Amino acid sequence: MGLPSAPKVPEEFRVLSMMHNIGAITPERSLTADELSLWTEIDPATVKSHMQKLREGGYVEFVQISGIEKYHVTRNGIMKVLTLYS
Amino acid sequence: MRVAMLTWEYPPRIVGGIARHCEGLAKALAKQGHEVHIFTLDFPGAPDYEEQGSIRIYRTRSEVGHPNFLTWVLLFNHFIEKRMADTSKLVDFDVIHVHDWLTAPAAISFKHFSKKPLVFTAHSTENGRSGLHVPDSFTIDGFEWWSTFEANKIVVTSGSMKGEVCGHFHVSDSKVEIIPNAIDTTPYDTPVDRGAVRARWGIQPHEKLVLCVGRLVPQKGIEYLLHAVPVLARRRPEAKFVIVGDGWYRDHLEYIANASGQRWRITFSGFISDWDLIALTKSADVMVVPSIYEPFGIVALEGMAAGVPVVASQIGGLTEFIEHDRTGVFVYPRNPESIAWGIDHILSNYGHAEWLVKNAREVVHKTYSWEAVARKTAKVYKDVVG
Repeated sequence: MGLPSAPKVPEEFRVLSMMHNIGAITPERSLTADELSLWTEIDPATVKSHMQKLREGGYVEFVQISGIEKYHVTRNGIMKVLTLYS
Repeated sequence: MRVAMLTWEYPPRIVGGIARHCEGLAKALAKQGHEVHIFTLDFPGAPDYEEQGSIRIYRTRSEVGHPNFLTWVLLFNHFIEKRMADTSKLVDFDVIHVHDWLTAPAAISFKHFSKKPLVFTAHSTENGRSGLHVPDSFTIDGFEWWSTFEANKIVVTSGSMKGEVCGHFHVSDSKVEIIPNAIDTTPYDTPVDRGAVRARWGIQPHEKLVLCVGRLVPQKGIEYLLHAVPVLARRRPEAKFVIVGDGWYRDHLEYIANASGQRWRITFSGFISDWDLIALTKSADVMVVPSIYEPFGIVALEGMAAGVPVVASQIGGLTEFIEHDRTGVFVYPRNPESIAWGIDHILSNYGHAEWLVKNAREVVHKTYSWEAVARKTAKVYKDVVG
């Protein structure tokens, strides 16, 4: 029973999933690339590149606070994350 | 009857079929005079408390998060449990009804706290969805077993799912009730301008629209449909494909589409609105459900209600409401040649396809109403309340 092993979950998707699980789903709970880097142990430049891809897909948005971009998961991003678990 | 219903998804938080199932069931139970209290997770833009007639919705924010998925699940269960305990000071629930394992820890705690019976609806199993290849899957499998163990009654949506639950979790046959899924057919009766809808999706009048709807995850078998595209294109150069939905598997599916040499025929729409989906479904020439694991397969029922011929994998719950060449067409799962044959079979026989649609609509209207599902579910509640 069960499925053959599938391709690995893409890294940017794992970052999206982690953002969701820690509650970064509203503008007031958004996180900087540096903060996301600490959570994920992925270097900030790679995190930024993942955020760019996720933004293009409509899965994250950012707010700018004192010139710093802070990211949170959108409604579509939440629904995408939940496909991993259902 | 006062029902405490737990689900991790409830509109507008919609992932798969569970949100729709809970909404349809809650509305129908409320119509039959029951009081339904939904305990679920928060969603941006949705109120944390809402009353819809005799349905009350408690959307709970998990005040603490955690990057690990299973830890996050336990944390949000804790906050749901607190909300239930607070609510129970005001409402004396008769029965607790939990959908899938994700909110089961809260439901089980509340069962012991309130000494009320527990009903567990198993919509699918981890073993069927993903297989038990990694430690997290074994933990989820354990939560599912625990839910079946603690439940006074288990509800499943198909005979295939009953076999899976009884076999895998060693549950007695008499503890499990089959209550199929249902759909509200009313939205499908609204007329749509097929030409305009098809044009919006880039379908020319002479082209054929092949539709596939589902979460983009391996168990939906969409990769096999994509492998069928070049096979079908040789026989049906006018075929175009729209794949509705999103999921973690999307990049891989787009890679297959790109490698097929037929990318221009295939549109990945991502998530679309309910109304756009209904209009698109009603405007399609054929709907394909290529799943390799499907405890029920409500999307096929939606296609049948919308009047589109359905080509589906002969698997799981789909085999219990589709009859081959009478209400739909079965194809072999994981078999692109067979999927291409099924689509071609529909597109080549317009009169036959119309006949299948007419038969399918009759079956949906006669058998799969929320009213019937609510009546059967209320009977299960009565049995466990005693």
